[in-house]
Amino acid sequence: MRKNNQTYDVVIIGAGISGLVCGCYLARAGMKVLVAEQHFKPGGYCTSFKRHGYAFDAAADCFGGYRKGGTTRKILSELGMDTKIDIVRPDPTNIIITPDYRIFFWIDLDKTVKELQTAFPDEKNSLEKFFHYANDPYSASFVSVKSWTFKKLLDHYFTNEKLKAILSIPLLAVGGLPPSRMSAFIGIKLYSEFLIDGGYYPKGGMQVLSNAFAETLQIMGGELRLSCLVKKIKVHNNSITGVILEKGGFTPSKYVISNCDARQTFLKLLGKDKLPEDFYLTLKNLIPSVSNFILYAGMDQSFDPPVNTGAALFYSDHYDMDKAYLGAQKGDIEKYGGYALRIADDKSTINAIIPAPYKSKRYWQANKHKFLNRLLERITQYSIPDLTQHIVFAEGATPATLYRYTLNYKGASYGWAGTPSQLALPDFKKPSFMKGLYLTGHWTTLGIGISGAAYVGYDTARLILRQEKIMKHL
Amino acid sequence: MDDILKEEIISIISDVSGFDVEEITLDTNFYTELEVDSIKAIEITVAIEKKFKISVRDEDVPNITTVRQAIETVEKLLTEEKADEKK
Repeated sequence: MRKNNQTYDVVIIGAGISGLVCGCYLARAGMKVLVAEQHFKPGGYCTSFKRHGYAFDAAADCFGGYRKGGTTRKILSELGMDTKIDIVRPDPTNIIITPDYRIFFWIDLDKTVKELQTAFPDEKNSLEKFFHYANDPYSASFVSVKSWTFKKLLDHYFTNEKLKAILSIPLLAVGGLPPSRMSAFIGIKLYSEFLIDGGYYPKGGMQVLSNAFAETLQIMGGELRLSCLVKKIKVHNNSITGVILEKGGFTPSKYVISNCDARQTFLKLLGKDKLPEDFYLTLKNLIPSVSNFILYAGMDQSFDPPVNTGAALFYSDHYDMDKAYLGAQKGDIEKYGGYALRIADDKSTINAIIPAPYKSKRYWQANKHKFLNRLLERITQYSIPDLTQHIVFAEGATPATLYRYTLNYKGASYGWAGTPSQLALPDFKKPSFMKGLYLTGHWTTLGIGISGAAYVGYDTARLILRQEKIMKHL
Repeated sequence: MDDILKEEIISIISDVSGFDVEEITLDTNFYTELEVDSIKAIEITVAIEKKFKISVRDEDVPNITTVRQAIETVEKLLTEEKADEKK
């Protein structure tokens, strides 16, 4: 064990967006912060990589909450990052395609609503009301749907079943649940912060955003260590004393903030013996969100796709979201019936993503290529007829890949599944049984997506600053 | 008003909002004074529901704006529950 280890005010486990945001705010307020990340680059699901000269976003491929007063904008501007990153936004930002409809989400929401009203004249007034409701990211009235499913919310506004399915297709793709299971609160937040106010992209790739946070953390006086695995959270008398790093041994700290997955935080890093019995039972019974299969393809120079570049395209060949969800859980691409697709602005690459089950490493070794080819066939069939002629190379990331890079439980993409009963669970942000321990990020059951993760990171920092009575930066 | 109940509820509000127990009085407004937003309002509600094993009606939550109203809502729900048990 290395001697003379430094003492920190805060050790943050994991340099996901939430951990980075939290670290930036705490360091800015003068606290001594270490962010320890097991991967060799910062960002968690917000990273990019290069293959054969092509650049790809690993998982997240845009962000939301960047309108005036939006969470992400507020954070980037407070940390002085908004001027350092060039943020672009395609128009349309999202497109939903089914056998009968082609629905565009424009930057101009009125235009979006008008087009939807033309497509669904019987729901004219309801569409107006729904989007008016969803367009306020801070609406306290979202609280009144806290135990609702998104299906109940849709039923509250609409009667047309096809419209309800269409409004749910992107949520299954970016939230991993059908409306019958998704919390209405999560669903409406995805609308207000992702579909209505989404599609923002840091020029150069998502890694640019994560790197900018990492750089800001260091400018503020914080420390980031990459390829630095945390082995244990050390405790004395129900109070945090520090962490044990794989390389570096015991590192004392007053606070530990875990931005890694909650099961790992509690069961592996802390240990079952440190958990109250009822909390352990709750933890054991929680359901993680789905994982994803992601396709990355490099295209030749003559590739000229017949669909919009830059925008997220959500395709589904049917309207039964429960069937789609079951298909996703079984790894049945046909039953799932859809995909989310994005063609880079410069047409050099495409990313496609579908929910997928975790399964064993062996399963994915045997099925990865089958999955990849089937997905390519379907994109060819429904969106880009000459796709295969232009592919230079294609590669897939499986749930096992997502696990390997992030250590998220079962490669889960969105933390715990966003059902009404798993929303805002006590003790998943600030466990009452362990002084000095906080969680941040989407495993806190408080928010998903980059803007959700960023919000929780900001909020966790504020809780600690209040605790420390450091008020000047609140 | 039950003092223990009051203390327990204020402690939950303090944990979620980050404001000290001393800063929170009966007339403190969640939204204007404790920076509570929709997700924090849900956090507080769920924490109170689990702690007291009650269920607050969703549509009532936005109308609860002060600490006093929160405590009164919990008291009312607990009384109703007791009355139900006696039936």
